[in-house]
Amino acid sequence: MSTAAVDTARRAPAIALAGVGRTYPGGVRALDDVSLTVEHGTFLAVMGPSGSGKSTLMHCAAGLDAPTSGSVRIDGREIAGLNETRRTELRRERVGFVFQAYNLIPSLSVEDNITLPLRLAARRPDRDWIRTLVERVGLADRLHHRPAELSGGQQQRAALVRALAARPAVVFADEPTGALDLRSAHQVLDLLRALVDDLGQTVVMVTHDPAAAARAHTALVMADGRVVETLHHPMAGRLAARLAALGDR
Amino acid sequence: MFQFALRMAAHRISSLLAVACAVLGAAALITATGVLAESGLRSRLPPGRLGGADVVVAADQEYHVAGDLPIALPERATVPAGLTARLARLPGVVLAVGDLGFPAAVTDPHGRLLPAAAGQDPAAAGHGWSSTRLLADARVEGRAPATPTEVAVAATTGLSVGDCVHITANGHAATAYRVTALVHSPDAEIYFTDTRATQLSNRAPKKPSAASGEGGMGAGTDTGVGTGTDANAGVGTDTGAGVGTDTGADAGTDTGADADADADADVGTNANAGTDADAGTNANAGTDADADADVGTNANAGTDADAGAVAGGAVVAVPRSAVVTGGSALAIRGTVSARTGGPARTASSAHTAAPRAGTVDLIGLRVFPGDRERVAAEVRGVVAGSGLKVLTGADRGTAVAPGVGSARSLLVLLAGSLAGIVLLITGFVTTGALGVAIAGQRRDLALMRAVGATPRQIRRLAAAQSTAVAAVALVPGIALGYLLADRFRTLLVHRDVLPDRLPLTLSPFPALATVLLLVAVVRTAARCAAWRTSKMPATEAVAESRSEPRAPSRPRTAAGLLLIAASCALSVTPLLQRTAIGASATSIAGIVAAIGLALAGPALVRAAGEAVVRRLRPGVSAPTWLALSNVRAYAQRVTGVVSPLAMAVVFVLTYALAQTTVLAATSDDTRTGTLGQYRLSAAALGGLPTDTLAAVRRLPGVRAAAPVGTTTVVWPYRQFGDTDTESAAALILTPAARDVLDLGVTQGGLAGLTGATVAVSSEVAGPRDAGLGSRVRLFLGDGAPVEARVVAVYDRGLGFGPVVLSRDLAAGHTTSGLDQSLLVRTDGTATAERGLTALAAARPGLALSDTAPEAGADTPPEVWVNLAVIVVLLGYLLLSIANRLVAATAQRRTEIAALRLVGTTPRQILAMMRREAGVIAAAALVSGAALSALPLVLLGEGFLDRPWPAGPGWPAPAAAVTVVVTSYVTIELPTRRALRVPPAEAVRAP
Repeated sequence: MSTAAVDTARRAPAIALAGVGRTYPGGVRALDDVSLTVEHGTFLAVMGPSGSGKSTLMHCAAGLDAPTSGSVRIDGREIAGLNETRRTELRRERVGFVFQAYNLIPSLSVEDNITLPLRLAARRPDRDWIRTLVERVGLADRLHHRPAELSGGQQQRAALVRALAARPAVVFADEPTGALDLRSAHQVLDLLRALVDDLGQTVVMVTHDPAAAARAHTALVMADGRVVETLHHPMAGRLAARLAALGDR
Repeated sequence: MFQFALRMAAHRISSLLAVACAVLGAAALITATGVLAESGLRSRLPPGRLGGADVVVAADQEYHVAGDLPIALPERATVPAGLTARLARLPGVVLAVGDLGFPAAVTDPHGRLLPAAAGQDPAAAGHGWSSTRLLADARVEGRAPATPTEVAVAATTGLSVGDCVHITANGHAATAYRVTALVHSPDAEIYFTDTRATQLSNRAPKKPSAASGEGGMGAGTDTGVGTGTDANAGVGTDTGAGVGTDTGADAGTDTGADADADADADVGTNANAGTDADAGTNANAGTDADADADVGTNANAGTDADAGAVAGGAVVAVPRSAVVTGGSALAIRGTVSARTGGPARTASSAHTAAPRAGTVDLIGLRVFPGDRERVAAEVRGVVAGSGLKVLTGADRGTAVAPGVGSARSLLVLLAGSLAGIVLLITGFVTTGALGVAIAGQRRDLALMRAVGATPRQIRRLAAAQSTAVAAVALVPGIALGYLLADRFRTLLVHRDVLPDRLPLTLSPFPALATVLLLVAVVRTAARCAAWRTSKMPATEAVAESRSEPRAPSRPRTAAGLLLIAASCALSVTPLLQRTAIGASATSIAGIVAAIGLALAGPALVRAAGEAVVRRLRPGVSAPTWLALSNVRAYAQRVTGVVSPLAMAVVFVLTYALAQTTVLAATSDDTRTGTLGQYRLSAAALGGLPTDTLAAVRRLPGVRAAAPVGTTTVVWPYRQFGDTDTESAAALILTPAARDVLDLGVTQGGLAGLTGATVAVSSEVAGPRDAGLGSRVRLFLGDGAPVEARVVAVYDRGLGFGPVVLSRDLAAGHTTSGLDQSLLVRTDGTATAERGLTALAAARPGLALSDTAPEAGADTPPEVWVNLAVIVVLLGYLLLSIANRLVAATAQRRTEIAALRLVGTTPRQILAMMRREAGVIAAAALVSGAALSALPLVLLGEGFLDRPWPAGPGWPAPAAAVTVVVTSYVTIELPTRRALRVPPAEAVRAP
């Protein structure tokens, strides 16, 4: 199915959620009937106060977690009903991740970390593509170091390369700048934006930083497990005001 | 700080569980070893048959070594009989009884031999009637034996008053007796008239002249009772009543009986002179007539009452009959006043017919109520300087049966040999578990550094936390230790290694020692484990906290390699010292090497990991590649689990095979060295009746027969300028042993084994300056000092022990005084075997056995003991390994989650972990086998002259299976558990 959907014009959206709900054991309703579509080549920011469900939204959209109701399609493929192994394989092929905590494997060198998902999928790494990415993020001379020997910004950039190495349909970034200083955060955000603009990559970023969200094409604001507002070409100021209003309720 | 440590500990409960388990097991093992050691030193038999005596005077049954633990002496040392009367005269003494024990066994009217009651030694089951006064609360049914053919027995025998029984006493052939009394007491044995007892045990004083009327006066005035019978009449209103009145008749009859016996002895010697090499040699040596008489007596004394009657009236009998008649309290008192205060042991010389004449085993006193301490103090004054011991209360138990009580020294030996291995293993396991636990908290500790804790505080925190965990585990551990010691005692009793009646000494000392030792170990180990993290700059510590320190510390690696080198040096010991102690170096060497591996491990694992990862084919599957990368990157963690597994392998291989190899070499020595095909023994009689040897030699087809006994010698010798004192089992042989034993004599010969002579094994001849012709100073099993000439040096020391005593030398210094067994060599025909079997069957109590035992039937008890030790220690090791692996795997939850986030399927994670388990198991097996190899090769060379050890083949594969299963299960289960948590949650909550 996926190989058939090459035609860009008719290509399914990168992410399509329809009526997604997620209830945790104990009755906590983290997502309540959320529907949303992310087209290829767009940059979406998901915002909201703590506990608004933004992380759960991302986990469900990325196939890390299975929704309790509704449908999630990644690159046109339904993930509801897939077991853990199938979901993992789907993620490995179509989804890239960047986490706040980098989650690089400490025992592997930067290069091994970057190619790890491809190795796991038994795919031959595209050497040229990876070299392009590494040079672009400025890590060409750090490939043989261990993650512990890199700065936070460098680690996050390595994680970004790892996320892109398999040419995923969509990259999810969970508070990618949360642990970084201002300068490193700027670098990472610039990179994300450039990926979308230059390479046609799709990026979904969860953040609570209005300045970070302002770099996206579209920003969703969440509260109590629902999408309460969708802003196109968001401005940091407005976002901040909106968030502050939500926080005051 | 302490509260902080506690709260952190509560948070890290899973990784600290491993520490708790390690400490718990260690506490149990160390406490148990301590209890065994303490019991070996302080445990006392219950006072048993001396329960009614308030004060007991007995010889010291310990050899005291300056600056070391005393050595128990198993052979009864005696007390001058005359002392009885002196003590009886002390104020406050109600009664003084000179107790003597000699071999005796009862055959009931149906011809069945009655077995000795539990805890009783057949070699000292016969007593004089007065000894019943030493029993606590004994009720007597019937009347005291009054004639030499009357006897009292324990009610537990099931006999009744009036029954006619046969008694084999002190080597005399079974004689008919009539039961006149039943003694109701669990400790009752066999009681003859006092006169008869003195006569049967050859204790009557030697000097006939002493048998004057002088003592009669003493008896009249005495309140006490000596070994004699007269005095009894005065006091013994109940039990002794009958005895005194019969004295006259008694003595008369005795005289006759003894005369018969002696005459017979003489006849026997003459008759046997031609065939008996033993007697011949003695005659040739001809240095003293006594020795000759002795041989005669032993060979044939008192063959039968009927025979005696025939030969009665021989001249030889006369002087000795006088001696026997004098065997009353009177005569003894006479001698003693002449010899008061003289050391008990020198009283008897080895070359007399009755070496223990004029002695008793011990003296029991009954005192007026409340006078015990005062009397004891006064008695101490009387015996001061004689080397005798004055015992009251629980200490009385030491005098009951030295042969039985001395078994407790085995506990000391056992605890000593266990202590080394137990301390090494528990220390290793505990420090290892702490290492894993602290490693799991490295991030916490690093973060604490970051918020301002000083390095010292970090180490204190680690120590405090570990101490808290240890404290929790110590209490049940110590309780378990006491239980474990009790179980172990049960095992030893079950295997007849330890007498049933010897209790464990339970005191808080082992617990206290365990607490001090373990707390010290735990605190030190925790500080060491936290050292690196504590010393690092705070920021670096945080950065490093998620992976491992990059380079293993050099001093640590060096120390590990040094230990491995040391173990190689240690494993040479079996080549130099072909003894069980030499062999024990093998397992110590193995364990030291395993500890070396634990230290040098990280560097080795990393190097091996690098080499393997570099050589991996590019197409290798992702899980394999990941697994190997992990091994390389987490060398320390991997070492933490590989080294205890390797230790388990090393321990099983070296400990088990060292035992079996020594056993094989020993039984090889014994088998090839034993020429006689049969062993005739009479443990149930306390020793062989003296006419057995001659009877056996007369059988058709018997080529040779010679008595063989064992005793203990204490041998102090100079080594490296110090005096070392070793207690060793020693054979007692006569020159005739040449025909039934081949000790592998290299110099001299057993023919010279008469008089004060010994033979020594070549292992001890050199180091102890005991070459052929030299004189050695030894202490015999009863503590008597002797000087003996070395007449032979032999090779088979492993099978036959380091030293052989001539029977002449040992005479009078063993509890029973009888030969323990005969080795018989026949022409191999069925006729000979039939003859022997018939002989043994015809005489109750004789047991005939094959000297070539079928395999497995004769597994010595130490094998079982060692097996139990292996099982317990291995269980502890495996438990701790399992704990460690589980903790180590649980600590990888975040890592596993991160792997899953980047797209590793659960199946791939499991595959990766299984491969790691495989690597760990393989590394443990290879290194374990490698570390055991050298010690075992050298062990084989040393003991069996071949480069491999002896033993069953199954421990090696069993160890391999155990290692593989342990590593697989303990990795698989926590991994599966980790996989159940959604990865996104797992990374969030580290």
